[in-house]
Amino acid sequence: MGGSEERVVAVIMVGGPTKGTRFRPLSLNTPKPLFPLAGQPMVNHPISACKRIPNLAQIYLIGFYEEREFALFVSSISNELRVPVRYLKEDKPHGSAGGLYNFRDQIMEESPSHIFLLNCDVCCSFPLAEMLEAHISYRGMGTILVIEVSPESANQFGELVADPVTNELLHYTEKPETFVSDRINCGVYIFTPDIFTAIQGVSSQRKDRATLRRVSSFEALQPANRSLPSDFVRLDQDILSPLAGKKQFYVYETTDYWEQIKTPGMSLKCSGLYLAQFRRTSPDLLASGDGTKNAAISGNVYIHPSAKVHPTAKIGPNASISANARIGAGVRLVHCIILDDVEIKENAVVIHAIVGWKSSIGRWSRVQASGDHNTKLGVTILGESVTVEDEVVVINSIVLPNKTMNVSVQEEIIL
Amino acid sequence: MKALILVGGFGTRLRPLTLSVPKPLVDFANKPMILHQIEALKAIGVTEVVLAINYQPEVMLNFLKDFEAKLEIKITCSQETEPLGTAGPLALARDKLIDKSGEPFFVLNSDVISEYPLREMIEFHKSHGGEASIMVTKVDEPSKYGVVVTEESTGKVERFVEKPKLFVGNKINAGIYLLNPSVLDRIQLRPTSIEKEVFPEIAAEGKLYAMVLPGFWMDIGQPRDYITGLRLYLDSLRKKASPKLAAGTHIIGNVLVDETAKIGEGCLIGPDVAIGPGCVVEPGVRLSRCTVMRGVRIKKHACISSSIIGWHSTVGQWARVENMTILGEDVHVCDEIYSNGGVVLPHKEIKSSILKPEIVM
Repeated sequence: MGGSEERVVAVIMVGGPTKGTRFRPLSLNTPKPLFPLAGQPMVNHPISACKRIPNLAQIYLIGFYEEREFALFVSSISNELRVPVRYLKEDKPHGSAGGLYNFRDQIMEESPSHIFLLNCDVCCSFPLAEMLEAHISYRGMGTILVIEVSPESANQFGELVADPVTNELLHYTEKPETFVSDRINCGVYIFTPDIFTAIQGVSSQRKDRATLRRVSSFEALQPANRSLPSDFVRLDQDILSPLAGKKQFYVYETTDYWEQIKTPGMSLKCSGLYLAQFRRTSPDLLASGDGTKNAAISGNVYIHPSAKVHPTAKIGPNASISANARIGAGVRLVHCIILDDVEIKENAVVIHAIVGWKSSIGRWSRVQASGDHNTKLGVTILGESVTVEDEVVVINSIVLPNKTMNVSVQEEIIL
Repeated sequence: MKALILVGGFGTRLRPLTLSVPKPLVDFANKPMILHQIEALKAIGVTEVVLAINYQPEVMLNFLKDFEAKLEIKITCSQETEPLGTAGPLALARDKLIDKSGEPFFVLNSDVISEYPLREMIEFHKSHGGEASIMVTKVDEPSKYGVVVTEESTGKVERFVEKPKLFVGNKINAGIYLLNPSVLDRIQLRPTSIEKEVFPEIAAEGKLYAMVLPGFWMDIGQPRDYITGLRLYLDSLRKKASPKLAAGTHIIGNVLVDETAKIGEGCLIGPDVAIGPGCVVEPGVRLSRCTVMRGVRIKKHACISSSIIGWHSTVGQWARVENMTILGEDVHVCDEIYSNGGVVLPHKEIKSSILKPEIVM
């Protein structure tokens, strides 16, 4: 155990630009994986977690973004965290398992004994070292991170049933209509290399079925028969569901926090979760101040070293201020993400909002929202280069880039 | 002769279309907006057009290379690094606009669609001998705009009144100017308004004259006016008996159909419809008062009115799309869906009906 042959590779799925339009308008300017949560790009958080894996050899980011969008990030994060990171671009959709299979040669280059698969838009504590240990003890093909949720919300996810003693995965179903289980799939997995054999099995089976069957014209119209290409393999429906109960897959349960970062509203919530995590694990990353020499800080706050905050401002809880932002005198910031190069003028108030890069918030203006992360307008989002003029109020609204707000609005989307 | 076209900024009022291309390249009547102006300038002998832009110059420049070659007219860009208003860009492009000939140059606003009677404007300018000529157009609601008050007989401009509360006149600035090079001496390289600073100064010296624009005029910078503008434009084609207008038993009123578009059996198209290159309109489709851009497929039995369908989108079978629905690029409306004023950003699929006007991101 832990010998030099036991190398581990991690794969992080980062998605692509036309997928996930739910992250607009923020994704109009920046790839979602690079959007900052608690002061660090979203994908930094799983990457940092991967550093805790013993014998980590390589991290692969797999997605549909152009290579040049990730080139800079990948080289700087490799240097900064001293862990080798590479970006691999998928040429076409292969499904969640097919994508892994598509790059099996690169992934297997260092002959890893274990492969982690993580989704970039998952916000959690990533207990990867513990998962690895558990997986080794189970001796299965894969181990899935699961968490308990409320029965009402469970059907938004993949529901799993596991043996309480052996932790074997007994049953898996994706977004069922009726209640199956309150344990759900967190989107973090660890596999042994025989996962590739399983994926290939699904591909070949599909190919054979396609050539053997002669489909009647009536059958061809049924939606279920709209056949997927043989190299499109989904992890949930095509691998976990059929192989549940066959002593191949196991579960590891986490009791820490877990959320999916699908919308800008959720990114604000998850930024807060990561700030709370920093409070526990690296409190020196967080800001402090009592209003004398530095601004008064309440709760968990991140302030980039290049940002300038006037000492009479009051910041937090749950605020994150990015590079070169300028926060003026008497400003109040609560539950917000202030992105790079933003200027917030005197006595402005920002509550439950995300203020986009290079925006300008006028004096005595008010940018706020109800803070309901699950509704479309529950967190106010200002896109890149938005100007809110002095004394204007913007409530529960979304403003697309390059707009100037010179009248107050509520509950609106400004294109 | 030279011309400057003020292209300006982000075109946010024409979103979601301008999320895919810069505004001057958004198609109007099957042709990029700015091409209408460049062609009108070329027709009266303008040899060089300068585009004053401040957004996405790379996209503009690529497009322009194609048209420079096809039209045999020189097209250059003058890029603002900070917004210079409506007059500043002229100062920025000074060197490109003035040559030894001392000829006046045209300035056009890129949002405007009109008849472009530029030859008549040159005659007018010569005859009054003043420093600057502007086109004005008559509107129903002058208070929405800047009104130009002129001396009836000569057209000499007396003054400009911005959004007047009481009626002072019904002619507004149409955004088409013909200026002597000396006007550039009056403009500094800083954010300057041509209507509020430069023209009033020239008018005070009695050297600014206004010509009433014959024919239609429309500022198509926002979707509602874009659709009205198409009606006016097609109407003007009809008045000229243009062969470009479609004819047939399935055509009502003024309709433009690109030669590469296909229309199926049993359709009823028009009035006031433009169908772009490569479009496929399947059998049984009803289209009225709408623009269908390049590469769109309208499936069987669908019904579309008063809407704009963006490039490469599809509208499903039996779908009904109306009341200022604007579909961005690559939007797919599923079968049997109803959209009442949906404004849909690019790369979306509409799987449930939009019952009242709403933005879908």
